[in-house]
Amino acid sequence: MKVFFEQYFDFHIMGEHFGEVLEAFLQNLLIFLVAAVIALLWGLVLALLRQAPGRKFIPIRVLTIAYIDVLRAIPLLIIILLISGGVPFLTFIPKDIRIPAWFGKPDPFWYGVAALVFVYGAYMAEVYRAGIEAVPKGQMEAARSLGMSHLQAMRHIIVPQAVTKVPAPMLNELISLLKDTTLVSVIALAESVLVSREILAEQLNSSALTLTAAFFLVICLPGARLVDYLIKRNQGKISRGAHIEVA
Amino acid sequence: MTDTMLELKGVRKRFGSLEVLKGVDLEVGKGEVICILGPSGSGKSTLLRCVNLLAPPEEGEIFLEGKDICKGPGSGTGESSWNLDFVRQRVGMVFQQFNLFPHKTALQNVTLAPQTVLGKSRAETEEKGRALLERVGLGDRLGQYPETLSGGQQQRVAIARALAMEPHVMLFDEVTSALDPELVKEVLDTMRELAGEGMTMLVVTHEMGFAKEVGDQVVFMDGGVVVEQGDPKQVLDSPREERTQKFLGLVLER
Repeated sequence: MKVFFEQYFDFHIMGEHFGEVLEAFLQNLLIFLVAAVIALLWGLVLALLRQAPGRKFIPIRVLTIAYIDVLRAIPLLIIILLISGGVPFLTFIPKDIRIPAWFGKPDPFWYGVAALVFVYGAYMAEVYRAGIEAVPKGQMEAARSLGMSHLQAMRHIIVPQAVTKVPAPMLNELISLLKDTTLVSVIALAESVLVSREILAEQLNSSALTLTAAFFLVICLPGARLVDYLIKRNQGKISRGAHIEVA
Repeated sequence: MTDTMLELKGVRKRFGSLEVLKGVDLEVGKGEVICILGPSGSGKSTLLRCVNLLAPPEEGEIFLEGKDICKGPGSGTGESSWNLDFVRQRVGMVFQQFNLFPHKTALQNVTLAPQTVLGKSRAETEEKGRALLERVGLGDRLGQYPETLSGGQQQRVAIARALAMEPHVMLFDEVTSALDPELVKEVLDTMRELAGEGMTMLVVTHEMGFAKEVGDQVVFMDGGVVVEQGDPKQVLDSPREERTQKFLGLVLER
């Protein structure tokens, strides 16, 4: 038992590397923040493209659905590797974009953000879609009968109501996104998993990894509780009939 | 004969393999109130939805103020033609389930479309919205959200919302059917007033009293066609067609 604790919970090692691991974890948080903001917008754009009406938007709808399906079917790790291992060699892309170093962040940071946005945009599009489809059909009809275009109806009527229906599932996606930032370690970005693995290799001790896991726990556990709370609150609303929307 | 506001010729509409309208002809004069009766599934609501192109017909012609609104690239799917704006800004609709925007106050429900569609200023639309809500007896409910209003109040907001676009024709799709009995009158009174002001109205309803009192014509539909049409008293009191007699018998038996 003592061996077990020493291997995973060596407080001396944790203390010694605390600052280093924390700093690396902040990298994860930073990737998360940047990717989350862009993915939330990108997902909404995808969801709206998927709902574009009429015959002339069929190609756009098909392309959007294909994008969403394909990106959700390929492991994120492969997407990260495809982007970081390929894009730098696509010489037809301007160098500033092909090998980005924006805001003083190295290119693996941006490859990681890009991969997360591509994949999580697809997941989030599906969450938005569920929210949009949960808005009663009469809302779109009322808006259209008043002369609003499809886009105006989406902007003023449908999306504002749809977003109130998605916080819980969206928060789940955000929690996954935060955890998946650790995959960016495979392209040599000094985030928390890479740093703790270096410590593991050096010390043959896993305590730094345990510490990293603890950092994720601190953020994600309250998040999971918040999801539960939001779901319960939403159910309460429905059972109290706060939104009287007769079908 | 008054000027023709709306004319339907051989209008057909199908949903998949189900043909809901099987060739409907109808002429509506300016300022006329037409009440449409009929059993459920007879195509009454679909007829209204054809008129404002929420459900564009596959066949036939609809003339609104003399203009054929069905021709154009959008006929059939109805999304991409010039006539959509023409129609939606001239035809207002009120729904059975109100369909108020739950995230907007009563006043915002009324002012939103004039602001976004017609690009009118906030001050102008709010002044007019206030006047409209006062007109339907809700001048003291401007800032309330739909869920805090009764069904009858919601429906009157919905009428004000449609009027804010200054329509030439108003469509009412069973607007009292979802209301508690004691709330029906306030909505009918509002409609009565509107008819008195000369609004052209197509009213799908089960309110026989209203049809008799306010309607200039009654149209009885069954199975996707107009079975009988004429003066309300004649159609309701001494219907010529057997199907009309049978339907009215069932309704009045209650």
